[in-house]
Amino acid sequence: MRFWNEFIKGLWKENPIFRLVLGMCPALAVTTSVENSLGMGVAATFVLVCSNIVISSIRHLIPAKVRIPCFIVVIATFVTIVDLLMNGYANELHKSLGLFIPLIVVNCIILGRAEAFASKHPIFLSIADGLGMGLGFTLGLTILGAFREILGEGSITIWGDIGFQVGGMQPMVLMILAPGGFIALGILLGFMNHLQAMSAKKRGGSFEPPAHLDCRHCTICKFGS
Amino acid sequence: MKEMLRLILTLLVICLIAGVLLAFVNQRTAAPIAAAARAAKTAAISAVLPEYDNDPGSTAYTNEVNGTPWVFYVARKNGQFAGAAFESLSSEGYGGDIRVMVGVTSKGKMHGIQILKAMETPGLGAKIAEDDFRSQFVDKDIEATNWAVKKDKGSIDQITAATISSRAVVNAIQSGLEIYKQHREEISKTGSEG
Repeated sequence: MRFWNEFIKGLWKENPIFRLVLGMCPALAVTTSVENSLGMGVAATFVLVCSNIVISSIRHLIPAKVRIPCFIVVIATFVTIVDLLMNGYANELHKSLGLFIPLIVVNCIILGRAEAFASKHPIFLSIADGLGMGLGFTLGLTILGAFREILGEGSITIWGDIGFQVGGMQPMVLMILAPGGFIALGILLGFMNHLQAMSAKKRGGSFEPPAHLDCRHCTICKFGS
Repeated sequence: MKEMLRLILTLLVICLIAGVLLAFVNQRTAAPIAAAARAAKTAAISAVLPEYDNDPGSTAYTNEVNGTPWVFYVARKNGQFAGAAFESLSSEGYGGDIRVMVGVTSKGKMHGIQILKAMETPGLGAKIAEDDFRSQFVDKDIEATNWAVKKDKGSIDQITAATISSRAVVNAIQSGLEIYKQHREEISKTGSEG
């Protein structure tokens, strides 16, 4: 049951993109298409689960003072492994994700989960947390990617097959460029908050937009105090 | 002192394990990575070359010009020189280097181009990789064509709103053709028997 709870929280309640607003660099940069979003999400999920497992299993061995460098080494190792594997076995995807794979190292979600969860919980729960957060991240990226690709290209193309086409519209190239990332994220965040406000009203409660749209899970800046 | 030793040792052990693991993965993936790169290159070469029955990937003429090696992959059919492909680069793109594979026939005509690497703006400059832009190069005479975009009074149609990217591609083609013209004799003899 706890496994399920830790898993499910990443999908909606603590969705990394729409609720925690973490990992914005890849969320804005690679979501130009559904294909890229999925690739980035799967790669980040893999790294997240692996790093959670390792960090959780060595959590008693790592002295608190050097835990951040230790986490970074573990994460960087898995990122490099993903980079090499993707380059060798999924070359096309590797080409389109390019620079963003090495950047998973500094993806705040991964270090954030290592610090906030895996270093304090047993392996089993850390796997659930990693899977849930990773899937939530992938889901968020894919929604953003779909939104931008439909508006910017007029179609969704996955692995060379056109999966979905909107007829009779002039693609808004802007949505695929960098500003489109911010616009899409803003619209979707607003939409999600609106949905929550509606459902809170139905239940008779009131909704306040999350005051914690910040790095509340990350305690790095408290380190040393 | 004792604590410091423990910190150092922990980090050292973790880095050692990471290093060994990475060395192992690197070794295992070296061959597939090289194979993927080779396959991508072979695909680009064969896409721009006319019909051939040799292996252009290993029939290459290399010439160094101003410190840059130029490699020409030579296509032969029934022992006759059929055409050559070369990779050229322009650093005048809008988003970093643009690498182009260019194919020329033995009759002095272009046979096709492929964009190997470009990071141009999606929806604008990225259109240089699309057929609409690339197909206009097919059958262009390498001598008679004025290798510049129409905006610069040349004979190549630039992409609307992406003149810089179009110009970079044309410049890459042109600089490669210059070298090709100078060494056409040697290139056409490369790989011939006897």
